[in-house]
Amino acid sequence: MENVRIVIGLVLIALGMFVYLTATFGLFRFHYVLNRMHAAALGDTLGILFVLLGLMVLVGWNFHTLRLGLIICFLWLASPVSSHLLAKAEFVTFKHIKTECEVVEK
Amino acid sequence: MSKMARIRKEKKTPWQKFCAWVNGDAAEQMLLPAQPPKESKKKAAKAKREKTTSNHRKDMGLGQFDHIYRICAVLIGIAIVSVLMAVVLKLPLFGSPDNPSVNEVVERYVEKGLEETGAVNMVAGMILDYRAFDTFGESSVLFLAVTCVTMLLMRDRNNTDKKEDMLTAQEHVIEGYEEDIILTKISRLIIPCALVYGIYVVLNGHLSPGGGFSGGTIMGSALILFAVSYGMIRMSRFFTYATFRKVTSSALMVYAASKAYSFFTGANHLESHIPLGTPGAILSSGLILVLDICVGIVVACTMYGFYALFTKGEL
Amino acid sequence: MRLVLELILPILLIVCALAVTFSKRLLVSVVIYTSFSLIMSVIWVLLESPDLAITEAAVGAGVSGLLLIYTLKKIHALKGTSDE
Repeated sequence: MENVRIVIGLVLIALGMFVYLTATFGLFRFHYVLNRMHAAALGDTLGILFVLLGLMVLVGWNFHTLRLGLIICFLWLASPVSSHLLAKAEFVTFKHIKTECEVVEK
Repeated sequence: MSKMARIRKEKKTPWQKFCAWVNGDAAEQMLLPAQPPKESKKKAAKAKREKTTSNHRKDMGLGQFDHIYRICAVLIGIAIVSVLMAVVLKLPLFGSPDNPSVNEVVERYVEKGLEETGAVNMVAGMILDYRAFDTFGESSVLFLAVTCVTMLLMRDRNNTDKKEDMLTAQEHVIEGYEEDIILTKISRLIIPCALVYGIYVVLNGHLSPGGGFSGGTIMGSALILFAVSYGMIRMSRFFTYATFRKVTSSALMVYAASKAYSFFTGANHLESHIPLGTPGAILSSGLILVLDICVGIVVACTMYGFYALFTKGEL
Repeated sequence: MRLVLELILPILLIVCALAVTFSKRLLVSVVIYTSFSLIMSVIWVLLESPDLAITEAAVGAGVSGLLLIYTLKKIHALKGTSDE
């Protein structure tokens, strides 16, 4: 039973690391800002979720699990908002945005 | 141009020169090259290009020293790095018991710290009880720093012109209209949690890692988040320059007064009437809790003050 | 495990310090400097001083980076914030 738990935790952490790897790869591979931001946000949310879930499984059921859950909550609230603000800044300041992507006029 | 020429013509006493230097005229004269006379368009363009490509050092007659300067910089850098490396190689191992830094002071702190200060967290006991005077200096330095930034960046009649006033008014109008709805909703969730966490870190400074500096920074970050998401106008409803001044200086004064009490009683061999309490409880360890709260307030106000002065030039 | 971290983190620190001085754009320097502070806070945790680690993460990685970027904006050193 103990071994199964450790294996599940390690697999989850490895999945998170894989997501991070793809995110970093995308961050360097894409050229336009919004595309790169998309890649980075993937690592920020899904990657951190897998890593922290793996840590929760590894630690076992005690007070630390709750703390890790709080960290997931905080990061899922904070990092999409910061990405949104960065994207908004890019949208406001970049003059030739229509050449890079479709813009829906309100 | 005419002002500069006038300054150059006048024969000045050292006091006048000093006044000019303080007011910035001398620096202007020295750093900026004399403007080229407008002879022809081509020449002016060429002069402008030269001015933009060459740095100011060249104009001050230091052009030939540039290479020597760089070589010297590299040599001195290498010398300093090699000296530091040699020193680091001679250092004793980190954490070994026969280091020269492990002496009777450390032994006293570790052995008697709990019973003398009542703080479970040894670091808080050290910086806020044994070395509280030092921490008082640190918080005064923060206060001094924010005072200096206020002197430099505070916006008033003397250092703004009409254009800047117009820009500020525009920014105020934009701020009033545009509030990012995602940011405001999320910050409504996050700011109370961050404030409560900062207060927790400050109040638990003598029990767990944390204390005035870290907790104050967390509270200051929450205030900055509020200012970013809701705008300076909403912020100024409960936090103005007068509040800042009163809160910060009174926190520093409470710190000084409480520490003066313990210094007075300690120096005169009187008994301090502040109970140490049971170690581990929130209300324990004498004055450390009060001092922690004071430092936290000063740090939080300073952090927010820096942000407000740097962005808007007002508190 | 701990030994590996203690070897890798100072090397990263030195790389960051060199990159700060050699980067051409000031904004990039500020971003690298904040990552320097983050690595430094992990090193404080390894040296068993969590008090310093919290303060370093909050001040060095958060507030001082913010202030430096605002200074860059104030002196018009960022792209797209000139006076014209």
